[in-house]
Amino acid sequence: MNILVATVAGALGAMCRYLASGTIQGRSRSDFPVGTLAVNLSGAFLIGLVAGATQLNSTASVAALGFLGGFTTFSTWMIETIRLGMPALRARAVVNLTLTLGAGIALTAAGYSLTN
Amino acid sequence: MTSRQYRSNYRRQLPALVAVVGGGLIGSAARAIVGFWLPTPTGHFPTGIFVINITGSFLIGLYLARRERAAVARLSLPFWAIGVLGSFTTFSAFSLDVLRLLTEGQTPTAVVYVVSSTVGGLVAALLGQRVGQAAG
Repeated sequence: MNILVATVAGALGAMCRYLASGTIQGRSRSDFPVGTLAVNLSGAFLIGLVAGATQLNSTASVAALGFLGGFTTFSTWMIETIRLGMPALRARAVVNLTLTLGAGIALTAAGYSLTN
Repeated sequence: MTSRQYRSNYRRQLPALVAVVGGGLIGSAARAIVGFWLPTPTGHFPTGIFVINITGSFLIGLYLARRERAAVARLSLPFWAIGVLGSFTTFSAFSLDVLRLLTEGQTPTAVVYVVSSTVGGLVAALLGQRVGQAAG
């Protein structure tokens, strides 16, 4: 049952990622991957909120964690970082890596402290 | 943008959206199953998400390299790269596990997890690209 809930929620998350990331990237004139950055950072903040909210029952939290798992992505972050870094290691690849990492973990902590 | 333009954009995007959702079902189911098999005990290295993120990074490199060399359907990219692999891998669970390790006082494990996931993910994606290019 939990696997089914997580699966459907994750597919909805994927749909939201596609729409949000595409819209944000489309409005940006930069080739910096701001679409993926925006979904990963907002997803990191939201998972902190969910993890801190201990009053959530288990099905609601499986659905929320499943949704955010599908909404955020690791593989696209990696491949976009590699593309920024080609052919030699460029500053923007390092920025994409460290900004996502640092801001992501800080936002998860911020979300967690808001609800816990 | 007028509402008619919005509707026409939406109609053009619909097949790709369906491909993303279909791929998302597969990727999310696979992530849920791996997470069920490899649960992370409190204070330990999150093996399940680590394996998922490294495997998914390898496969996206492999997929994109193959895609440059072979003719693929228009909906292949939204299905495989955005849907299946995009949902299989996750940043939010990774970030939450790092926070948990830090708050549990497992700072060395948190550092090992962050470094091995990011360096490992980049190496895996590059390796996937190489394998995809070598396959001709």
